[in-house]
Amino acid sequence: MNYSDLFQQLLPEVILVVTALVVLGTGLAIESRSKPASNSLMSAIACVGLLLAGLSLLRFQVSGDAATPMLALDPLARLFKGVVIALGLLAVLLPPARDEIHQPGEFHALLLFAITGLSLTVGSNHLLFLFVALELASLSLYLLAGFPRTARAAEASLKYFLFGGVSAAFLLFGLSLIYGFSHAATLPEVATDLAANPTSPLALAGLAMILAGLGFKLAAAPFHYWAPDVYQGAPATSVALVAAASKAVGLVVLVRFLIIGFHAAGGSAAWGGMVAGWSVWLAVLAAVSIVFGNLLALAQTSVRRLLAYSAVANSGYLFVGLCANGTSAVGAALFYVVVYGLATLGALAVTAAVERDRGDDSVSSFAGLIHRSPLQALALLVFMASLAGIPPLAGFVGKFALFSQALAETSTAGSPGIVWLVGLAAMMSAVSLYYYLKVLKQAFVTEAPENASSAPVTTGHALAIGIPALILIALGLFPSLLLEPVTSALVALLP
Amino acid sequence: MTPAWTIASAFAGALLVLLLPARMAAQSRVVALVASIIGALAAGAGCIAKLASPEAPAWSFDREWIPSLGARFHLAADGLSLTLLLLTGIVAIAGVLFSWNVDKRQRAFFALFLTIIGGVYGVFLSRDAFLLFVCYEVVILPKYLLIAIWGSTNREYGAMKLTMYSIGASSLILIGLAAAYAAAGGTSFDLAHLAAADYSASFQAWAFPVLFLGFAVLAGVWPFHTWAPTGHVAAPTAASMLLAGVVMKLGAFGALCVAMPLFPEGFAQWRGVIAGLAVIGILYGAFTALSQKDLKFVIGYSSVSHMGFILLGMATATHWGLRGAALQMISHGIIAGLLFGIAGRVVYTRTHTRDLDELKKFDLWRSLPGGAVGFTLATAASMGLPGFSGFVAEISVAIGLWESFPLLLIPLVLGIVITGAFSLRALQKAFFPVRSAAAAKPPKLPPLSWPEITAIVLLLAVSLAIGIYPKPWVTLIDDGLASPLFQSLLP
Repeated sequence: MNYSDLFQQLLPEVILVVTALVVLGTGLAIESRSKPASNSLMSAIACVGLLLAGLSLLRFQVSGDAATPMLALDPLARLFKGVVIALGLLAVLLPPARDEIHQPGEFHALLLFAITGLSLTVGSNHLLFLFVALELASLSLYLLAGFPRTARAAEASLKYFLFGGVSAAFLLFGLSLIYGFSHAATLPEVATDLAANPTSPLALAGLAMILAGLGFKLAAAPFHYWAPDVYQGAPATSVALVAAASKAVGLVVLVRFLIIGFHAAGGSAAWGGMVAGWSVWLAVLAAVSIVFGNLLALAQTSVRRLLAYSAVANSGYLFVGLCANGTSAVGAALFYVVVYGLATLGALAVTAAVERDRGDDSVSSFAGLIHRSPLQALALLVFMASLAGIPPLAGFVGKFALFSQALAETSTAGSPGIVWLVGLAAMMSAVSLYYYLKVLKQAFVTEAPENASSAPVTTGHALAIGIPALILIALGLFPSLLLEPVTSALVALLP
Repeated sequence: MTPAWTIASAFAGALLVLLLPARMAAQSRVVALVASIIGALAAGAGCIAKLASPEAPAWSFDREWIPSLGARFHLAADGLSLTLLLLTGIVAIAGVLFSWNVDKRQRAFFALFLTIIGGVYGVFLSRDAFLLFVCYEVVILPKYLLIAIWGSTNREYGAMKLTMYSIGASSLILIGLAAAYAAAGGTSFDLAHLAAADYSASFQAWAFPVLFLGFAVLAGVWPFHTWAPTGHVAAPTAASMLLAGVVMKLGAFGALCVAMPLFPEGFAQWRGVIAGLAVIGILYGAFTALSQKDLKFVIGYSSVSHMGFILLGMATATHWGLRGAALQMISHGIIAGLLFGIAGRVVYTRTHTRDLDELKKFDLWRSLPGGAVGFTLATAASMGLPGFSGFVAEISVAIGLWESFPLLLIPLVLGIVITGAFSLRALQKAFFPVRSAAAAKPPKLPPLSWPEITAIVLLLAVSLAIGIYPKPWVTLIDDGLASPLFQSLLP
């Protein structure tokens, strides 16, 4: 592979970086102008860059060329680069919840750097390259979380940074242990070595550390303590990126590690057939996240914190799919993470608008939304119902596919598989309807207070809530549109 | 006109109502009525075609949907489905007629109403477990919103309780279906495929109660029935009619046509327990109804009692019992719809009370003779007097019971006696109070409107038709019970 090929394969990231530099330069040039206008200009430039990056993905060629062992040029990478860029685009369109962006140039440049980092991460096969790409994304996200100059945002940013720093250390230590085990830094080579020696304590210790590091990215319990504060204090756009894109990327990296690299050390968490391995660890993490996230979400009055605990619970559902250690269940998890990201992003968009109109994001601020802004209320219905897993929305298909495939992959003639975990997940998912309904009840049932009014919905805002809502409905009716590509990308990955 | 028109008309009607411009909001009831009539006609046409040519192959519609899960868009209509579709269509028409005067957010009301109807049609027609579950779950949010926005007494509590029971039960169904799917090879959700799979006895021993209970909660099985009275009382009239009339039947239908055929050995192990719970439900519902003050609570608990007959009929595992269960589904759907319609719409909107003691003042027999006649006939049907549908259903269940659990006939007869007692008590207190000579002249109440009369006459006529000439209904139900799904259940 020569440099022009390499350039072509990395074209999306190149475009993103160039756009980031353009945004930064424009920001410096027009700094004295009015804030809202320059903010819209920066958003517009960022959107154009993201659109171009998305289009350039069409030229991305899947190849198994061993000349670039660092880059994963597989269908999974292509698919999730597209997902990351699309989620990033929607996040840019999110309305600002408060008057929070003081330096729009820097903000949007960092946003684009974060998306670049995330996009590189999903396409990396090499341990070191992976770490660098992930850190590019993480460092940008720490800064993005602290953008408004408020005490709450500063707290969010600092917590995110401290937890992130520790988990990055764990990740790096885990990577070095794996390198020490196999003397190779690409995942396929690690897989070969591990197949010969599946119970190597060195490799498993490395994997445990990586799990801790990525558990932070996915906001899985017990690595989730940053999530509520970041969700509450950070600007809506940053939260959307953390909640949707960063989570999807974390899952893809985990899938690459577990399913490609460590397939041989999976073990089994099945009822009556437990075999030691990472499946058991993940099953425990899943159970803890699901119970913890859902129960704590019940008590929240702030919708942003509610969404944070729902993020914890949802990472638990994702782990249910992973611990089945088979393509169809993992494919369902990848489907679910996209659907979850869209629903959360949309819910955040509505929350940000409510926050702007009413001053805070408490559940009662949503009172009478159906009268104030029917469009937003109906979109909120779609997002919350999808999160709760109500058909005909994509969240329902995602959960159903996740649970049924996890059982199908693990059950054998003698054992009903991980039915204990799926049962727990299904029951707790029923519990989750309660807190989503709490928000919907305010929006649809409770009458609005006298003085409540709603600012008109701008085009960008309408797109940020309309597109996810339509995709969720379309994927709910025709899930194969995404489920088939995800599953076949996963199958193509395996040797 | 294929049975698919039922689903299509309901969902298309819901969409159309939502898209009506604001100035035409008052017309949404017309759209809803037309959509309901189309659905009922489609179901009726299906029934007639089936009766005319019983040997003709059942209508079915089978398309690829989600190949990676093995879920197909598979609808089919046998005689049992067709009768339940017809029931849904009739209750839907009556529900729209009894909601003729809804004036708050009409478009949303009828859109949600039609969505529930569409979901119910979908469940009765699905032959794929995934599709069935989708339709089953579609109903949940509209139910919540209908009760929480348009409901009365304690509406937000009643709505939330009902919704949490429903979704909790649905999670059990999900576990049961996913386990069956996994154990059957993880390739297809087709119900016939799942029913043909060979599950181990130990697997069925836990999977059957999980799946059955999931469905039975929605059918109001004791001790998970408590959502039903509070939910029915809180709901607006049309929603009470739908909930008691058809939504509870979804649970019964799922238990009969999904849980039992999938896990026949599990059913054989657990059917004694089911019979016991059903009898407790019959007695408990009847005794509780005997001491209620609110007319709607009386009907709500009577529903719990009547739904017990359905479960009991299933538990007998005899042809008579299953037939009785299916007949009771239809009979109770009609009668509960009628009782809730009269209590919630005809009486409450005129008197603004449902308290049995308060109602004495109105002397409804004189001030609202039409309502009194309708309620009297409905009560007679509900008590299972010969000539009405309830009698046919209950006698069939009793015959089935005689074949399998003869001793349970004793509590069953007791339940029927108590049913007579609470029905007559409510009827007498609400409509025929003992008037002392000095009683004040009863207030003037507006007479029945034509939508009310039409709905009452429609429902009573169907109940009488089943009671006097049950043969076509029995023929249709027997056609459904002859399906291969039930071969492993019936000796």
